[in-house]
Amino acid sequence: MSNEISPRELRAELRDLYEDYALCLDEDRLEQWPDFFVEDCHYRVLSRENHDAGLPIGLIYCMNKNMLKDRVTALRETTMSEPRSLRHFISGVSLRERKEDTLVSQANFAIMESLSDRDPMLNMVGRYLDTWRHTSDGWKLSSRDCVCDNYRVRTSLIVPV
Amino acid sequence: MDTPTTCSNVGRQNPVESPVHIERRWPADGYTRIPYWVYTDAAVFQKEMDVFFAGNTWNYLGLDCEVPEVGCYKRNWIGTRPVIMVRTENGEIAVLENRCAHRGAQICWQNTGKVNDFTCPYHQWNYDLNGNLQGLPFKRGVMGKGGMPRDFDPKQHGIRKLRSVNRGGTIWATFSDEAPTFEEYCGPEVLAEIDQVFPGKKLTLLGYTRQLIPSNWKMYIENLKDPYHATLLHTFYITFGLWRADSKSENYPIPNSGHSVMISHNEGKKVTEATPEMQRFRTDLEMLDRETVTPKKEFNGGRVGGAWVFPAAAVGIQANTLKTRHVIPRSPTEHELVFTYYGYEDDDEDMTRRRLKQANLLGPAGFVSMDDSEMLTQCQIGATGYPHEAGIIEMGGRDTERTDYMVSEVLIRGFYRYYIEAMGF
Amino acid sequence: MLDNEAVCLYALGERVYATQDRCPHGNASLSEGYIEDCLIECPLHQGLFDIETGKPKGPPVTTDLKCYEVKVNDGTVYLRTAGP
Repeated sequence: MSNEISPRELRAELRDLYEDYALCLDEDRLEQWPDFFVEDCHYRVLSRENHDAGLPIGLIYCMNKNMLKDRVTALRETTMSEPRSLRHFISGVSLRERKEDTLVSQANFAIMESLSDRDPMLNMVGRYLDTWRHTSDGWKLSSRDCVCDNYRVRTSLIVPV
Repeated sequence: MDTPTTCSNVGRQNPVESPVHIERRWPADGYTRIPYWVYTDAAVFQKEMDVFFAGNTWNYLGLDCEVPEVGCYKRNWIGTRPVIMVRTENGEIAVLENRCAHRGAQICWQNTGKVNDFTCPYHQWNYDLNGNLQGLPFKRGVMGKGGMPRDFDPKQHGIRKLRSVNRGGTIWATFSDEAPTFEEYCGPEVLAEIDQVFPGKKLTLLGYTRQLIPSNWKMYIENLKDPYHATLLHTFYITFGLWRADSKSENYPIPNSGHSVMISHNEGKKVTEATPEMQRFRTDLEMLDRETVTPKKEFNGGRVGGAWVFPAAAVGIQANTLKTRHVIPRSPTEHELVFTYYGYEDDDEDMTRRRLKQANLLGPAGFVSMDDSEMLTQCQIGATGYPHEAGIIEMGGRDTERTDYMVSEVLIRGFYRYYIEAMGF
Repeated sequence: MLDNEAVCLYALGERVYATQDRCPHGNASLSEGYIEDCLIECPLHQGLFDIETGKPKGPPVTTDLKCYEVKVNDGTVYLRTAGP
């Protein structure tokens, strides 16, 4: 179990998970995105304004893994949006709490967006507030709040954070 | 001065004068055309700010539950004018300009807060919660030298307080003493829609979403007055039976105003004659989480309704999600769109969860709204390149009469009919 | 200064009074203020306090001033501090 691994190794493992998650989204492998989560997961993207005030509304608010999959379906099948490329930059991975089968961690993210006829711009910046659960498939997210410092979303939020 | 003293017509909105003079001419076809310079011209924009936001209109500030205790304030904008709403000592909510009477600094530089009184950070001029100037440093000078002139009267230099109303928990304000009452301004149909979703029950705040959309503010209003695109752009609607081109619907452009009311009825997923025309309909798609697209029957009984309260706000319910929308024009080519989500104090946990869950349909990442801001961006790009060309709005005909079907651009025609006259084109 | 707090002394007719110097409403020194009748007006926002009782008498102040008991002996002013 997790207690056998040193804090340094655990943090390295976490860093890998953060990077894998970012790469999955940046490479548009949306169908694999729900695999990072457990069935009864919580995934929410919300502004720091809401988070700091304890307000529950999310820009995206998935209350279970099915909703993650539904979001992928909707994006693939029903959403119309301008083609773009997104690139995550993750930093500041920090292990906040460690229990037998649970980890609490956080990391910063910055997402640069490039549209076909416009230069890269910082689209969103914030931090992941995460709880991981140890499963037979390794660490999976049981809860992720993507708290973005943005006062406003630029135009729209198409791809999950 | 064009300031009427009576308003005998329900919903009549009488424009005020603006010092801005505009050379442009509207196309001869009138309100079935939208000339693209209307989305880019700086003088047109400034005149709109004067005529609409500073004129005889009532403007949305927020909900009373956003400022629960005495001294709580929230910052907002009416057009481009910074304002605040604040809970005063007598429990009422006042609306003040967010501008120090001294040198124009923004008094409140946070979105929300709680204070005993207002002190401007620059020279510490101090105002009570109603905007009265209570004190200013060195009013009597220092060591017998300086100070304000003897005839300086603090009563003349307070923060301007706007006329405001609280309708069922929604706060509105006007800069004009000549504007009709809020009830007269809305008219019975719009008022009925407001009262439906704000029936006087205690409200709870669920949160905000905000987005900055790179398009003229009117494009968003047109988008919300455009049920024609709903099932064509947002396939999500018809795919999951939330709304359909052949649904029982009503479009009502309120005469002599920029208001409108739009109603539709949730009838579930079905195939009829209309559906084959809608190229993107998918019979094979189902949501894994059905609750996301299955509203629980509550007071509105499956009726999706809403009103656009000119100039810049909308109220209404979508599935189980209660929200207001507010448009803040930032420049001719950008506007901010704010959703405020709320519930009622007597909502149980199940209903609150539904309200939060179904908010996934709306806002910047909404299943039936994220595409809108993408399209508005495209329209702004086209309009910017061809300001001398015009859009055509003839779906459903060329009139501005109420309809009992959905696929129509009548609400947009009604809007521009009013706009052309109010702007003096 | 008394116990690390600035004190403001007032001479009203024959009597001497003492209150805290820092206005509870903002960062201002009451000793730079203006006296009229038995009221001290804070120079920052013109809030009024009763010098004798420390009670707020005019907006924007709403909090009492801390007052000190004063004794004058042979031209020296003594203030009563909190006991040991």
